[in-house]
Amino acid sequence: MGYGIAPKVPLLYPALIVAAGLCTPAYGQSNKVRITQLSDVAFGFVAGPADQQISQNLCIFANTSNDTYSVVATGSGASSAFELVSASDRLPFDVQWSETSGQPGGTTLDAGVASPAFTSNATQQSCNSGPSTSATLTLVLRAAQVDQVTAGSYTGSLQIMIVPN
Amino acid sequence: MKHKPHHINRMVRAAATGLAVATALTSVGANAATQGTLGATSTGSINISASVANRARITGLSDVTFANQDPATAAVSAQNVCVWSNTSTRAYTITASGSGTGSAFTLANGAATVPYSVEWNAASGQTSGAALSTGTASGNLVSTATQQMCASGPSSSASLIVRIGAADLSTIPASTSYTGTLTLLVTPQ
Repeated sequence: MGYGIAPKVPLLYPALIVAAGLCTPAYGQSNKVRITQLSDVAFGFVAGPADQQISQNLCIFANTSNDTYSVVATGSGASSAFELVSASDRLPFDVQWSETSGQPGGTTLDAGVASPAFTSNATQQSCNSGPSTSATLTLVLRAAQVDQVTAGSYTGSLQIMIVPN
Repeated sequence: MKHKPHHINRMVRAAATGLAVATALTSVGANAATQGTLGATSTGSINISASVANRARITGLSDVTFANQDPATAAVSAQNVCVWSNTSTRAYTITASGSGTGSAFTLANGAATVPYSVEWNAASGQTSGAALSTGTASGNLVSTATQQMCASGPSSSASLIVRIGAADLSTIPASTSYTGTLTLLVTPQ
Protein backbone atom coordinates (compact mmCIF):
# COMPACT_ATOMS: atom_id res chain seq x y z
CA MET A 1 0.00 0.00 0.00
CA GLY A 2 1.44 3.38 -0.91
CA TYR A 3 1.02 6.67 0.90
CA GLY A 4 0.76 10.09 -0.50
CA ILE A 5 2.89 12.93 0.27
CA ALA A 6 0.90 16.07 0.71
CA PRO A 7 2.15 18.65 -1.64
CA LYS A 8 3.84 21.46 0.12
CA VAL A 9 1.86 24.61 -0.06
CA PRO A 10 3.93 27.59 0.48
CA LEU A 11 2.63 29.74 3.29
CA LEU A 12 2.45 33.27 2.63
CA TYR A 13 3.03 35.42 5.59
CA PRO A 14 2.07 38.97 5.57
CA ALA A 15 5.19 40.86 5.06
CA LEU A 16 5.88 44.27 6.27
CA ILE A 17 7.83 46.10 3.77
CA VAL A 18 9.69 49.05 5.04
CA ALA A 19 10.81 51.44 2.40
CA ALA A 20 14.33 52.59 2.58
CA GLY A 21 14.67 56.15 3.84
CA LEU A 22 12.19 58.36 5.79
CA CYS A 23 8.51 58.09 5.26
CA THR A 24 6.80 61.41 6.10
CA PRO A 25 3.11 62.19 5.89
CA ALA A 26 2.26 64.90 3.34
CA TYR A 27 -0.76 67.31 3.29
CA GLY A 28 -1.73 70.63 1.46
CA GLN A 29 -2.10 74.03 3.31
CA SER A 30 -3.16 77.13 1.40
CA ASN A 31 -2.08 80.63 2.42
CA LYS A 32 -4.71 82.33 4.55
CA VAL A 33 -5.06 85.95 5.63
CA ARG A 34 -7.50 87.95 7.70
CA ILE A 35 -8.18 91.61 8.50
CA THR A 36 -10.09 92.58 11.64
CA GLN A 37 -10.56 95.42 14.13
CA LEU A 38 -11.55 97.95 11.46
CA SER A 39 -13.50 101.00 12.66
CA ASP A 40 -15.39 103.75 10.87
CA VAL A 41 -13.63 107.12 10.71
CA ALA A 42 -15.37 110.41 11.57
CA PHE A 43 -13.19 113.47 11.09
CA GLY A 44 -15.84 115.88 12.37
CA PHE A 45 -15.30 119.51 11.37
CA VAL A 46 -12.21 120.03 9.30
CA ALA A 47 -10.44 123.26 8.40
CA GLY A 48 -6.97 124.47 7.58
CA PRO A 49 -4.23 125.38 7.97
CA ALA A 50 -3.00 121.96 9.06
CA ASP A 51 -3.74 118.58 7.51
CA GLN A 52 -6.11 116.38 9.48
CA GLN A 53 -5.34 112.70 9.98
CA ILE A 54 -6.77 109.77 11.91
CA SER A 55 -4.94 106.49 12.53
CA GLN A 56 -6.29 103.17 13.75
CA ASN A 57 -4.63 99.94 14.78
CA LEU A 58 -5.72 96.80 12.97
CA CYS A 59 -5.17 93.08 13.17
CA ILE A 60 -3.65 91.63 10.02
CA PHE A 61 -2.94 87.91 10.12
CA ALA A 62 -1.05 86.05 7.41
CA ASN A 63 -0.03 82.41 7.65
CA THR A 64 2.21 82.58 4.60
CA SER A 65 5.69 81.19 4.81
CA ASN A 66 7.15 84.57 5.70
CA ASP A 67 3.98 86.05 7.26
CA THR A 68 3.89 88.53 4.39
CA TYR A 69 0.92 90.12 2.70
CA SER A 70 -0.05 92.99 0.41
CA VAL A 71 -2.81 95.56 0.77
CA VAL A 72 -5.20 96.65 -1.98
CA ALA A 73 -7.34 99.64 -0.99
CA THR A 74 -10.22 101.01 -3.05
CA GLY A 75 -12.34 104.05 -2.38
CA SER A 76 -15.95 104.90 -3.16
CA GLY A 77 -15.09 107.74 -5.52
CA ALA A 78 -15.09 107.61 -9.30
CA SER A 79 -12.86 104.76 -10.52
CA SER A 80 -12.42 103.68 -6.91
CA ALA A 81 -10.75 106.96 -6.02
CA PHE A 82 -10.15 107.84 -2.40
CA GLU A 83 -12.83 110.53 -2.24
CA LEU A 84 -15.54 111.77 0.06
CA VAL A 85 -18.50 113.41 -1.60
CA SER A 86 -21.08 116.01 -0.61
CA ALA A 87 -24.13 117.23 -2.48
CA SER A 88 -21.97 119.46 -4.62
CA ASP A 89 -18.29 118.63 -4.26
CA ARG A 90 -15.61 115.97 -3.79
CA LEU A 91 -12.95 115.87 -1.12
CA PRO A 92 -10.01 113.55 -1.76
CA PHE A 93 -8.11 111.84 1.04
CA ASP A 94 -4.85 109.94 1.37
CA VAL A 95 -4.51 106.37 2.65
CA GLN A 96 -1.36 105.26 4.42
CA TRP A 97 -0.38 101.83 5.78
CA SER A 98 2.18 100.68 8.30
CA GLU A 99 2.96 97.04 9.08
CA THR A 100 3.52 98.11 12.68
CA SER A 101 0.68 99.18 14.94
CA GLY A 102 0.66 102.53 16.72
CA GLN A 103 2.22 104.46 13.85
CA PRO A 104 1.07 108.01 12.84
CA GLY A 105 1.66 107.41 9.12
CA GLY A 106 3.11 104.93 6.70
CA THR A 107 3.37 103.91 3.07
CA THR A 108 0.99 105.83 0.85
CA LEU A 109 -1.38 103.51 -1.00
CA ASP A 110 -2.74 104.05 -4.49
CA ALA A 111 -6.36 103.14 -5.15
CA GLY A 112 -6.69 99.65 -6.57
CA VAL A 113 -2.95 99.00 -6.60
CA ALA A 114 -1.37 96.23 -4.55
CA SER A 115 1.09 97.56 -2.02
CA PRO A 116 4.62 96.29 -1.54
CA ALA A 117 4.86 93.30 0.76
CA PHE A 118 4.32 93.87 4.45
CA THR A 119 5.04 91.48 7.29
CA SER A 120 2.60 90.63 10.02
CA ASN A 121 3.59 89.76 13.56
CA ALA A 122 0.13 88.51 14.44
CA THR A 123 0.09 84.99 15.84
CA GLN A 124 -3.69 84.51 15.88
CA GLN A 125 -6.16 85.38 13.13
CA SER A 126 -8.09 87.89 15.27
CA CYS A 127 -5.12 88.88 17.44
CA ASN A 128 -6.86 87.26 20.42
CA SER A 129 -3.48 86.08 21.61
CA GLY A 130 -0.02 87.42 21.02
CA PRO A 131 0.09 91.01 19.71
CA SER A 132 -3.32 92.67 20.05
CA THR A 133 -2.82 94.53 16.75
CA SER A 134 -0.33 94.26 13.92
CA ALA A 135 -0.78 97.20 11.53
CA THR A 136 -1.82 100.85 11.30
CA LEU A 137 -4.25 102.43 8.84
CA THR A 138 -4.04 106.24 8.51
CA LEU A 139 -6.40 108.51 6.59
CA VAL A 140 -5.33 112.09 5.79
CA LEU A 141 -7.36 115.11 4.68
CA ARG A 142 -5.02 117.68 3.18
CA ALA A 143 -5.61 121.30 4.22
CA ALA A 144 -5.03 122.46 0.65
CA GLN A 145 -7.92 120.27 -0.47
CA VAL A 146 -10.18 121.23 2.41
CA ASP A 147 -9.57 124.90 1.64
CA GLN A 148 -10.89 124.46 -1.86
CA VAL A 149 -14.09 122.50 -1.40
CA THR A 150 -17.59 123.73 -0.75
CA ALA A 151 -18.85 123.72 2.82
CA GLY A 152 -21.01 120.78 3.74
CA SER A 153 -21.06 117.18 4.93
CA TYR A 154 -18.87 114.65 3.14
CA THR A 155 -19.09 110.85 3.26
CA GLY A 156 -17.44 107.89 1.60
CA SER A 157 -16.11 104.40 2.22
CA LEU A 158 -12.84 102.53 1.97
CA GLN A 159 -12.48 98.86 1.18
CA ILE A 160 -9.30 97.06 2.16
CA MET A 161 -8.32 93.69 0.77
CA ILE A 162 -5.45 91.69 2.22
CA VAL A 163 -3.66 89.35 -0.16
CA PRO A 164 -1.07 86.73 0.82
CA ASN A 165 2.32 87.57 -0.51
CA MET B 1 -8.49 182.84 -3.17
CA LYS B 2 -7.12 179.58 -4.10
CA HIS B 3 -7.00 177.17 -1.30
CA LYS B 4 -3.54 176.15 -0.32
CA PRO B 5 -3.38 172.43 -0.67
CA HIS B 6 -2.96 170.85 2.70
CA HIS B 7 -1.38 167.61 3.49
CA ILE B 8 -3.51 164.90 4.90
CA ASN B 9 -1.60 161.95 6.06
CA ARG B 10 -4.39 159.60 6.57
CA MET B 11 -3.57 156.12 7.47
CA VAL B 12 -6.56 153.94 7.10
CA ARG B 13 -5.91 150.36 7.73
CA ALA B 14 -8.56 147.90 6.86
CA ALA B 15 -8.34 144.84 9.02
CA ALA B 16 -9.60 141.63 7.62
CA THR B 17 -11.49 139.12 9.62
CA GLY B 18 -12.65 135.77 8.40
CA LEU B 19 -15.56 134.28 10.19
CA ALA B 20 -16.23 130.61 10.24
CA VAL B 21 -19.76 129.58 10.93
CA ALA B 22 -20.18 125.98 11.92
CA THR B 23 -22.59 123.87 9.98
CA ALA B 24 -24.72 121.24 11.61
CA LEU B 25 -22.81 118.27 12.94
CA THR B 26 -22.85 115.15 10.85
CA SER B 27 -24.46 112.44 12.91
CA VAL B 28 -22.21 109.48 13.56
CA GLY B 29 -24.12 106.31 14.00
CA ALA B 30 -23.00 102.92 15.23
CA ASN B 31 -19.83 101.47 13.76
CA ALA B 32 -20.77 100.03 10.37
CA ALA B 33 -17.29 98.80 9.50
CA THR B 34 -17.15 95.24 8.17
CA GLN B 35 -14.41 92.86 9.22
CA GLY B 36 -12.68 90.35 6.98
CA THR B 37 -12.92 86.59 7.31
CA LEU B 38 -10.07 84.11 7.15
CA GLY B 39 -9.46 83.13 3.55
CA ALA B 40 -7.25 83.21 0.52
CA THR B 41 -7.88 86.96 0.63
CA SER B 42 -9.62 88.96 3.32
CA THR B 43 -11.63 92.13 2.75
CA GLY B 44 -12.99 94.66 5.21
CA SER B 45 -14.47 98.13 4.82
CA ILE B 46 -15.03 101.33 6.76
CA ASN B 47 -17.27 104.38 6.41
CA ILE B 48 -15.67 107.82 6.50
CA SER B 49 -17.26 111.20 7.22
CA ALA B 50 -16.13 114.82 7.52
CA SER B 51 -17.76 118.24 7.73
CA VAL B 52 -16.37 121.38 6.14
CA ALA B 53 -17.57 124.54 7.90
CA ASN B 54 -18.72 127.70 6.15
CA ARG B 55 -15.68 129.91 5.81
CA ALA B 56 -14.72 133.23 4.26
CA ARG B 57 -11.57 135.23 3.74
CA ILE B 58 -10.70 138.79 2.78
CA THR B 59 -7.25 139.62 1.42
CA GLY B 60 -5.59 142.08 -0.90
CA LEU B 61 -6.31 145.05 1.39
CA SER B 62 -4.07 148.13 1.31
CA ASP B 63 -3.77 151.14 3.55
CA VAL B 64 -5.30 154.32 2.18
CA THR B 65 -3.41 157.62 2.26
CA PHE B 66 -4.78 160.93 1.05
CA ALA B 67 -1.76 163.21 0.77
CA ASN B 68 -1.73 166.88 -0.19
CA GLN B 69 -5.42 166.72 -0.89
CA ASP B 70 -7.02 169.72 -2.56
CA PRO B 71 -9.98 170.53 -0.31
CA ALA B 72 -11.94 171.78 -3.27
CA THR B 73 -12.16 168.24 -4.59
CA ALA B 74 -13.57 165.22 -2.80
CA ALA B 75 -10.99 162.57 -1.99
CA VAL B 76 -11.71 159.11 -3.34
CA SER B 77 -9.76 155.89 -2.97
CA ALA B 78 -10.88 152.70 -4.67
CA GLN B 79 -9.08 149.40 -4.31
CA ASN B 80 -9.63 145.87 -5.52
CA VAL B 81 -9.76 143.21 -2.85
CA CYS B 82 -10.18 139.46 -2.73
CA VAL B 83 -13.21 138.15 -0.89
CA TRP B 84 -13.78 134.39 -0.92
CA SER B 85 -16.59 132.27 0.46
CA ASN B 86 -16.75 128.47 0.40
CA THR B 87 -20.52 128.14 0.67
CA SER B 88 -22.39 126.50 -2.16
CA THR B 89 -23.65 129.92 -3.30
CA ARG B 90 -20.32 131.69 -2.66
CA ALA B 91 -22.35 134.32 -0.80
CA TYR B 92 -21.18 136.59 1.98
CA THR B 93 -22.06 139.78 3.81
CA ILE B 94 -19.70 142.63 4.63
CA THR B 95 -19.79 144.63 7.87
CA ALA B 96 -17.60 147.70 8.23
CA SER B 97 -16.76 149.53 11.44
CA GLY B 98 -14.58 152.57 12.01
CA SER B 99 -12.30 153.64 14.81
CA GLY B 100 -14.36 156.66 15.78
CA THR B 101 -16.76 156.98 18.67
CA GLY B 102 -19.44 154.32 18.38
CA SER B 103 -17.39 152.72 15.57
CA ALA B 104 -17.98 155.79 13.42
CA PHE B 105 -16.17 156.20 10.13
CA THR B 106 -13.98 159.07 11.29
CA LEU B 107 -10.36 160.09 11.17
CA ALA B 108 -8.96 161.89 14.17
CA ASN B 109 -6.31 164.37 15.13
CA GLY B 110 -6.63 164.56 18.85
CA ALA B 111 -10.16 165.67 19.57
CA ALA B 112 -10.69 166.85 16.03
CA THR B 113 -12.37 164.44 13.68
CA VAL B 114 -13.33 164.31 10.04
CA PRO B 115 -15.83 161.80 8.66
CA TYR B 116 -15.40 159.57 5.67
CA SER B 117 -17.78 157.22 3.85
CA VAL B 118 -17.36 153.59 2.85
CA GLU B 119 -18.79 151.93 -0.23
CA TRP B 120 -18.59 148.28 -1.31
CA ASN B 121 -19.02 146.69 -4.71
CA ALA B 122 -19.13 142.91 -5.20
CA ALA B 123 -17.29 143.36 -8.49
CA SER B 124 -13.67 144.38 -8.73
CA GLY B 125 -12.46 147.38 -10.70
CA GLN B 126 -15.32 149.61 -9.57
CA THR B 127 -15.09 153.22 -8.34
CA SER B 128 -18.46 153.31 -6.62
CA GLY B 129 -20.70 150.92 -4.77
CA ALA B 130 -23.34 150.48 -2.12
CA ALA B 131 -22.80 152.67 0.93
CA LEU B 132 -22.06 150.77 4.15
CA SER B 133 -23.29 151.87 7.55
CA THR B 134 -20.97 151.23 10.43
CA GLY B 135 -21.67 147.97 12.23
CA THR B 136 -24.45 146.97 9.83
CA ALA B 137 -24.11 143.88 7.66
CA SER B 138 -24.75 144.33 3.99
CA GLY B 139 -27.19 142.22 2.07
CA ASN B 140 -25.95 138.95 0.61
CA LEU B 141 -23.28 139.40 -2.01
CA VAL B 142 -21.77 136.75 -4.27
CA SER B 143 -18.06 136.25 -4.71
CA THR B 144 -16.45 135.22 -7.97
CA ALA B 145 -13.26 134.12 -6.24
CA THR B 146 -12.33 130.47 -6.77
CA GLN B 147 -9.32 130.44 -4.46
CA GLN B 148 -9.30 131.91 -0.97
CA MET B 149 -6.52 134.39 -1.75
CA CYS B 150 -7.40 134.80 -5.43
CA ALA B 151 -4.10 133.13 -6.27
CA SER B 152 -5.87 131.39 -9.12
CA GLY B 153 -8.97 132.34 -11.06
CA PRO B 154 -10.00 135.99 -10.68
CA SER B 155 -7.19 138.07 -9.10
CA SER B 156 -9.74 140.11 -7.15
CA SER B 157 -13.44 139.87 -6.50
CA ALA B 158 -14.67 143.11 -4.92
CA SER B 159 -14.04 146.86 -4.66
CA LEU B 160 -13.63 148.96 -1.52
CA ILE B 161 -14.22 152.70 -1.95
CA VAL B 162 -13.43 155.31 0.69
CA ARG B 163 -14.42 158.98 0.28
CA ILE B 164 -13.95 162.25 2.11
CA GLY B 165 -16.25 164.95 0.89
CA ALA B 166 -14.90 168.37 -0.12
CA ALA B 167 -16.90 170.08 2.61
CA ASP B 168 -15.26 167.85 5.20
CA LEU B 169 -11.83 168.34 3.68
CA SER B 170 -12.22 172.07 3.98
CA THR B 171 -12.50 171.78 7.75
CA ILE B 172 -9.04 170.24 8.00
CA PRO B 173 -6.24 172.73 8.77
CA ALA B 174 -3.32 172.64 6.40
CA SER B 175 -0.35 170.44 7.22
CA THR B 176 -2.20 168.33 9.72
CA SER B 177 -2.56 164.59 9.81
CA TYR B 178 -5.69 162.67 10.60
CA THR B 179 -5.66 158.90 11.05
CA GLY B 180 -8.09 156.09 11.65
CA THR B 181 -8.77 152.40 11.15
CA LEU B 182 -11.47 150.67 9.14
CA THR B 183 -12.34 147.10 10.03
CA LEU B 184 -14.07 144.86 7.51
CA LEU B 185 -15.82 141.66 8.62
CA VAL B 186 -16.76 139.10 5.97
CA THR B 187 -19.38 136.52 6.95
CA PRO B 188 -20.08 133.51 4.71
CA GLN B 189 -23.74 132.93 3.85
